[in-house]
Amino acid sequence: MSDLNKLYKQQVLAHNKNPKNYGEPDHWSHHAEGLNAICGDQVHVYLTIVDDTIQTAHFAGDSCAISMASASMMTELISNKTIFEALHLFASFKQLMSAEGLPNAEQVLGPVACLVSVKKFPSRIKSALLCWYAMNAAINGQATATTE
Amino acid sequence: MLREAFPCLHQQVNGKPLVYFDNAATAMRPQVVIDAVNDYYCHHNANIHRGVHCLSGRATDLYEQARGSLARLINAPSPDNLIFVRGCTEGVNLVAQTFVKERLQPGDEILISHLEHHSNIVPWQIVCQQTGAKLKIIPMNDQGELVLDNLDQLMTERTKFMSVVHVSNALGTINPVKELVQKAHAKNIPVLIDGAQATPHLKVDVQDIGCDFYTVSGHKMYGPTGSGVLYGKAAHLDAMPPYHGGGEMISKVTFEESIYNKVPAKFEAGTPNIAGGIGLGTAAEFIMEVGIEQIGAREADLRQYTEQALNGIEGLRIFGTAKHKSPVFSFNIDGIHPHDIGTIIDHYGVAIRTGHHCTMPIFQFFDVPGSCRASLAFYNTEQEVDILVESLNQAKAMFS
Ligand SMILES: Cc1ncc(COP(=O)(O)O)c(C=O)c1O
Repeated sequence: MSDLNKLYKQQVLAHNKNPKNYGEPDHWSHHAEGLNAICGDQVHVYLTIVDDTIQTAHFAGDSCAISMASASMMTELISNKTIFEALHLFASFKQLMSAEGLPNAEQVLGPVACLVSVKKFPSRIKSALLCWYAMNAAINGQATATTE
Repeated sequence: MLREAFPCLHQQVNGKPLVYFDNAATAMRPQVVIDAVNDYYCHHNANIHRGVHCLSGRATDLYEQARGSLARLINAPSPDNLIFVRGCTEGVNLVAQTFVKERLQPGDEILISHLEHHSNIVPWQIVCQQTGAKLKIIPMNDQGELVLDNLDQLMTERTKFMSVVHVSNALGTINPVKELVQKAHAKNIPVLIDGAQATPHLKVDVQDIGCDFYTVSGHKMYGPTGSGVLYGKAAHLDAMPPYHGGGEMISKVTFEESIYNKVPAKFEAGTPNIAGGIGLGTAAEFIMEVGIEQIGAREADLRQYTEQALNGIEGLRIFGTAKHKSPVFSFNIDGIHPHDIGTIIDHYGVAIRTGHHCTMPIFQFFDVPGSCRASLAFYNTEQEVDILVESLNQAKAMFS
């Protein structure tokens, strides 16, 4: 499979076409907007946090397929996790995307680990990271985040 | 063939022949320009205007010859009408701070258009903040053409300056700059024209246009990056205060006062981009040698071919369909984000730009976050357009 086909693998295309947890929910407790103005990626992350647990996670916005798929997978992964766990996953995902890499990525990140193929396209790493930074901002009470 | 003159075009990327359709971001440079830069460093390397020695004399001559070439390219009355700058951005900022700022009172107005590059918006917002003046915008229509019907109402007695782009980098629209200047001058409004995307593609005659200032960007017209010139009418340049203080722009300095040098040296403080200026002069000579009419005719053919080819792709929407336009195509394809298209077609060797192209208000008008932009130059070919179309079809297939 070419690098391009690995980047746009079936999971990514499927999440892009039919994203999970998409759209602004009626109720949420935490929100932040991730915006990469130069490339035009925008991801709003909405969390409902009760007693330190992320009960629901949603996202909305207009983004490239990498950003959409990453956000869709992230919301699935962090639902029903504690804030501590979610921030730990954030750290792990950043490590996956870094030069260092993440050993046992699938064990730690589950399906999200498939985004490792984005690393072959350095200009796109920021797209994959955007929703995670937005989630982190939402938890920390910040309104916006960017990875540009 | 002319294409041979551009060495960087001849390479493979991702195992495919490069198709360079990002000329509006920066053009390729012909070998003669690269040689001129190289030659200066290899054979004439010296500071200009300062030394009595042989090399300094040669470097100064080459630099001033370059100014002369640029004056001929845009038909300036004299080389002294041209100030070497880093590019259009610096040219606009220079005029904003040294010519326009001192004319502004709170409530005064500066008129720009909806088609402007950020570099012809932000410098005006800065002077507005400094002075309490306001920005007014000439609107555009769905085709990406300026709407001039209400120009009389937009040009009020409070309008102290107008700054408009000659050719839009995002949509390719060629604006009727001569008509705009005439209307503004009828109301005593001085005008700057941003010519970044004009000199590489069409005949520019600053005296015919009649504008007060005109900015030229070196790297868009096959010259070195970080080079450019600002054209200004002599009376304005003589009256304006200097932009930067330093060496070269003075004729005498004591601790009590400095006496400024004459134009253009007054605006050229410090050691300039000498190699860049010399390379830019060579680029101007190159354009005149090839012939701007030949360039325009070839690009008109390419534009027509590309327009037809892109219109044949289902789900593709072109932004900017002005009657008069340069070979620039902004477009989106249903269901695929521009960023994904850019990545996919890069795989097939095709270089385009995606995003807002430093013209966010244009895409706010079309209510999209950005677009794909294929911007062509005379050295591109119909075969390359076919490769673009094929790669776009691949992207569609992947996302179907
Ligand atoms: C229309 C237009 N104006 C101004 C600029 C800025 O020019 P420069 O890069 O020379 O500062 C550009 C280039 O990006 C442009 O396309």
